[in-house]
Amino acid sequence: MVSKQAIIDVLLTIPDPEMPISIVDLGIVETVELSERAVHVDLLPTFVGCLALPAIAEEVKKKVGDVDGIDNVTVDFIYDPPWSTDRMTEQGISDLAKMGIAVPDGSCCGEGGSSSSLVELQTSAIRCPWCDSEDTTYTSAFGPTRCRSIHYCNACRQPFERMKQV
Amino acid sequence: MSTIDEATQQAVINLCLSIADDKLFLGHRNSNWTGIAPILEADIAFSSLAQDDIAHASALYELAGNLMDETADNIAFGRKPDAYLCSNIVTKDDQFDWANAIARQFYCSNFDLLRFERLSNSSWSELAALCKRLVVEQQIQVNHINDWVKQLATGTPESKERITNALNEYADAASSMFETPYGFDLLIEQDVVNVTEDIFDAWQARIAEQLSLVDISVDFENTASENEGGRSGVHSDDFADSLTELQAVYKEDPAASW
Repeated sequence: MVSKQAIIDVLLTIPDPEMPISIVDLGIVETVELSERAVHVDLLPTFVGCLALPAIAEEVKKKVGDVDGIDNVTVDFIYDPPWSTDRMTEQGISDLAKMGIAVPDGSCCGEGGSSSSLVELQTSAIRCPWCDSEDTTYTSAFGPTRCRSIHYCNACRQPFERMKQV
Repeated sequence: MSTIDEATQQAVINLCLSIADDKLFLGHRNSNWTGIAPILEADIAFSSLAQDDIAHASALYELAGNLMDETADNIAFGRKPDAYLCSNIVTKDDQFDWANAIARQFYCSNFDLLRFERLSNSSWSELAALCKRLVVEQQIQVNHINDWVKQLATGTPESKERITNALNEYADAASSMFETPYGFDLLIEQDVVNVTEDIFDAWQARIAEQLSLVDISVDFENTASENEGGRSGVHSDDFADSLTELQAVYKEDPAASW
């Protein structure tokens, strides 16, 4: 019989279609249930409006379905517990850093805070993934995907992205 | 909500549809700004807001669809006009005036955040779980739109005048959001909706707090007006125009797969 670890190993080879990181390292795999020749996987959407969700579900069905001894794969998206950047692995954080995408370390305020000042630019200690400087500016909460915001590093003068702290 | 009788089930469906319809039409209206918003960042942001709103609608249609034995797409695009339960404000034509679009989104985003907060501890666990997730995303919307109101209010004399006018222009329509769908009282009885404070008062307080930062005051009245009726399927001409556009592709071939 196929082991659960074998299924997780397969999931580790499935990247997020929009980022160079496996779905396991992204922290969206909540449960893997194995019974006889069937597998059920519960995934957590990073954002409800993430356009990559159907592609991820298809890839999971295909790759896990190709495993010898597995005939049936089902995938559900669930909202409880809610996904957060805290669920990402060290491997995932380092994979994203190589592509210039920063990940919140939980030490500074997130996008979830309430807006009370006239200037809402967030300047507190967001580290540039290219040069490590903390002299960075928050450009926009709306980046190329729903889970990433856009920033600019004043030190190395490079734009970079960051996983939204949720 | 362990056992569910027929009347409660219909009330739950109405609740999901009323929120989802608001978000679908708002997202649809806002998607018209894609490509023509005043600056690039605003264009991307408004398109993202529209994407979020339509995704939130889709998730709520799916929840309702489980009870209705119907797909989210069919619910979103296949109903008769009087089966839509959205409020009047979301379909009001913004005349492609940026101040109108910002004022409307400011009112709606803040209201949606309150709704999701309130439903996060619903006795219907599936709805509660979804709304916990949506609160986080909605807060990002609220932060963004609150900033835009402040930007316009502290920009030039013209921008201040135009956002002030738009906020007043949409104040009446905003009362339409607070209409409740049929069966709402039943949901309060069963703790599907937890009411700890009046949602109109709570909303007005948040709006006033933001506007006080930029010396704008708007009078709201939560009274029945020509703007009401949406939650029971009675809609305006602007709604009819929006619905025709929204359903155009679906009606070409309802059985098509995407």
